[in-house]
Amino acid sequence: MGEWIRRLRYLLQRRRLEEELAGEMEFHREMAARHGGKPFGNALRLREEAREAWGWMWMERLGQDARYAGRQLRRSPGFTLAATLMLAIGIGANVGAFGFFNLMVLRPLPVRSPETLLRFKRRSPGSYASQMPYPEMAFFRRHTRTLSAVIAVSGGKLTIEGEDKPIDCDFVTGNFFDELGARPEMGRMFGEDGEGANEGEPVAVLSDGFWRRRFGGSAGVVGKTIRLNGKTATVIGVAPGEFSGLSMSNPEVWLKIDEQPYFVTGSHLLTDYSVDAQGVTMFGRLKAGENAAAAEAELKSLAAELHRERPADIWEQESLPSSAGGYAKNLGGGRHGTGREQGDEAYPLVALGGSLVLLILAVACGNLGSLLLARGVEREREMAIRKAVGAGAGRLVRQLFTESLVLAMLGTAAGLGVGWLVLRGMMRMAKAPAWLDASPDWRVVAFAAGAGMGAAILFGLTPAMQVARQRHRATRMRQVLIGVQIAASAVLVIVAGLLIRALDHALTAQPGFEFRQVVSIDPGLGAHGYTAAGARAYLDTLERRLRGLPGVESVAMTSMTPLGNKKVVTGADVPGRSVDAYMYGIDPEFFATMKIPLLRGRNLRRGEARALVISRSLAAQWPGGEPLGGTFEIGDEKYTVVGIAGSARLVAIQDPDAVEVYYLATEAELPSMVVLARTAGPPEGLAPFVRSVAKEIDPKIQPDVEMVKSSFQRKMEGAGQAAMSVAALGSVALVLACLGIVGLVSYSVSQRRKEIGIRMALGADRAQVLAVVVRNLASPIVVGLAAGVGGAAALAQLLRRELYGIGSMDAIAYLAAMGVFAAMVAGAALLPARRALRVDPLQSLRYE
Amino acid sequence: MPKTEMPSGALVLLILRVLRSGSLHGYAIAQRIHSLSDEVLQVEEGALYPALQKILVKGWATAEWGTSETNRKVRFYRLTGAGRKQLENELSEYERAHAAIRAVLRTA
Repeated sequence: MGEWIRRLRYLLQRRRLEEELAGEMEFHREMAARHGGKPFGNALRLREEAREAWGWMWMERLGQDARYAGRQLRRSPGFTLAATLMLAIGIGANVGAFGFFNLMVLRPLPVRSPETLLRFKRRSPGSYASQMPYPEMAFFRRHTRTLSAVIAVSGGKLTIEGEDKPIDCDFVTGNFFDELGARPEMGRMFGEDGEGANEGEPVAVLSDGFWRRRFGGSAGVVGKTIRLNGKTATVIGVAPGEFSGLSMSNPEVWLKIDEQPYFVTGSHLLTDYSVDAQGVTMFGRLKAGENAAAAEAELKSLAAELHRERPADIWEQESLPSSAGGYAKNLGGGRHGTGREQGDEAYPLVALGGSLVLLILAVACGNLGSLLLARGVEREREMAIRKAVGAGAGRLVRQLFTESLVLAMLGTAAGLGVGWLVLRGMMRMAKAPAWLDASPDWRVVAFAAGAGMGAAILFGLTPAMQVARQRHRATRMRQVLIGVQIAASAVLVIVAGLLIRALDHALTAQPGFEFRQVVSIDPGLGAHGYTAAGARAYLDTLERRLRGLPGVESVAMTSMTPLGNKKVVTGADVPGRSVDAYMYGIDPEFFATMKIPLLRGRNLRRGEARALVISRSLAAQWPGGEPLGGTFEIGDEKYTVVGIAGSARLVAIQDPDAVEVYYLATEAELPSMVVLARTAGPPEGLAPFVRSVAKEIDPKIQPDVEMVKSSFQRKMEGAGQAAMSVAALGSVALVLACLGIVGLVSYSVSQRRKEIGIRMALGADRAQVLAVVVRNLASPIVVGLAAGVGGAAALAQLLRRELYGIGSMDAIAYLAAMGVFAAMVAGAALLPARRALRVDPLQSLRYE
Repeated sequence: MPKTEMPSGALVLLILRVLRSGSLHGYAIAQRIHSLSDEVLQVEEGALYPALQKILVKGWATAEWGTSETNRKVRFYRLTGAGRKQLENELSEYERAHAAIRAVLRTA
């Protein structure tokens, strides 16, 4: 340890210490001369040898090399610019992708002490839910000793005067802003005890975005009254734009959770224990010295205590697993179900995205490697001179590699900029909340530096060795580099082809159901406290009145809106594998309204329990072959299959593995039903009528009316953006690879002028001459393309469930992609090759 | 007098040994080794200063300014505690190796 400190001192004071050393040696020389000794050797060299003991010579040499590399690169600005640009693209794509990952997973939310925040979910051996009933949360809050605070958040969509669509509001506990350390941009936030002028009066805190959009950022907003769901609330403050809160829904307004029943008339949120009803997301802050395991253990024993009190509501053996609450990825919406919880669908997509951006970096590195080899030809003289004055191969490799490192540093800096732009563009496009800050933090910078270092090794080390050993003229290395570029860009082009094909398929193919003339009406009965009987009465009236509207062909109801966000899935075990069965609670009119054909058996009958219609896709995998009359277990209940309907992946059109199970909606489910109306003509005109009909029956209802085709368009926009991004990556990669090919062929033409001349003189025709210069391209193209197709097929496996039923080996996508590829590559090879045809045999023979 | 090459590694040991009896400057160290070895061992300047730098970095000696017999300001090297310990280690190590070599030479 002490040795290192001394070494560091030598580094920092090396100028003074060097002078001392020089003085000492001078003295030695004088004394030796006086005593008739031998003359001292080369003082400079001796000093250098003595300094070697300090252990910093490598740094001095590195500095020398870096200075020299800087001079070299300044001398060829064209090359430096091209190399930096290429690296900026390759590194930038990776920095952008990593930046997104960083925002979601690695970077804590901008709230106070995010590391001590936990998010709790419910789990029991048979069930799971990401939200919990408010009273259960309140019970934990009363009794916990490991958590210093409990925060609950419950989302809601509330109408506001002057706007058609309801806005997102979050109902939060009073400690929400204090606990998260948010300071008001204006006015004040909720206080723990609601003190101040507005005591007892409903209050609202506006988001920065909503304040600017709706009130033009006016300072006079504090104290104003707004009407949400027709109920008044006083605006007490505005939250700053960089405040993230604890949900990704990016709410426009925050309201106090104990005032939720005031805004949502009839809501039982504060007292209802049922899991199907709306619940709250529970966050806890750990007390100092406590850990997550202790909190989970405590909550588990509290849940057991509550289970004894309310055995019907709290699950047996209920546990409350926690996850780090202070990260964006944990802010997703709620889900619940029976059986085991599905894995996160996002992981294969994250892996795919990461692979695709790495490929573009691979193309950039391959390209740059070729450029460096080509530069080696120009620098033959320089290398020869260096060798002649005594530089070893190792020293030359080090010097050349230092140049690559300097290039990588330039590329990293530019890549950080490109990545920032890419990420910011993505955020804009996805309308991400303002607090998701795209500017790079230390993790992104470290990642970029790592990527740059890795790239330098990839593109710089081998060429450095080749050039130092004067082997850069060998075509083998160039072929390998071209092959790498071709393989990587082929993967990108094929994956882009698959995505475009899938999008095209989704837009044009029959999905097995008809949605373009269907309007969905979600009256949100459960949120307004409707009982099953009340919901039955409301839904009957609504359906009857809708049928009476001109232009309405049929009306049905369902528990899951087609192309909507609510998904109830049961993992069903069929022999060989488990499938995700989407569970639709419907009424008998559903199939006619969605135009899903009944293939065999019969429809469900009103009032019939324990009967199921399954989709053909599930029937095809049915164990034993004949599904009709077979039984299917949901939870502990046995159901009999009475009919088989056509496959219609209504809520998962992108997933070819999805299968459907239809049952008659139970009474208990009625408060969460959605009504569907099919129109004879275009549905556009119907929405306002439907809205007023739904409100007429019960004025407190705030129906969410939507044309199913709008949901479809939104989904397609997302798929289109994904396809566009990959197509853009693929095009860039392909262009880079083509530039590489152009370079290789041009080089080949200039190297073989003499050979071409001789062949021409001997009577070779044009094809034979062309063959000479493109011959060494054949093997890298064939090998690279084969590797690319293999890589694409492997990657496409990750994508299979997002391709709207297009197979991951879809022939059209592969052939189309390879057609584009072949045309580009042929162009890139033949354009420079034509120069070979213009070689004048006489001149080229006289040339040397 | 024929010049005798210093066995590598031995130089540090010798420097540490001559410094044990008091601090010396670089030239004096070379002289002392030369005279104590009956003028057999010649300390090359090219070897002496790298060895001294190594000793400083390792912390076996410290350098301080003093005045030479010719009235010049010059660095004197003084053995540290760590240097003393290092000297003992190297001495016992040397004795062991030396004894082993002698044993082989005697009996073989």
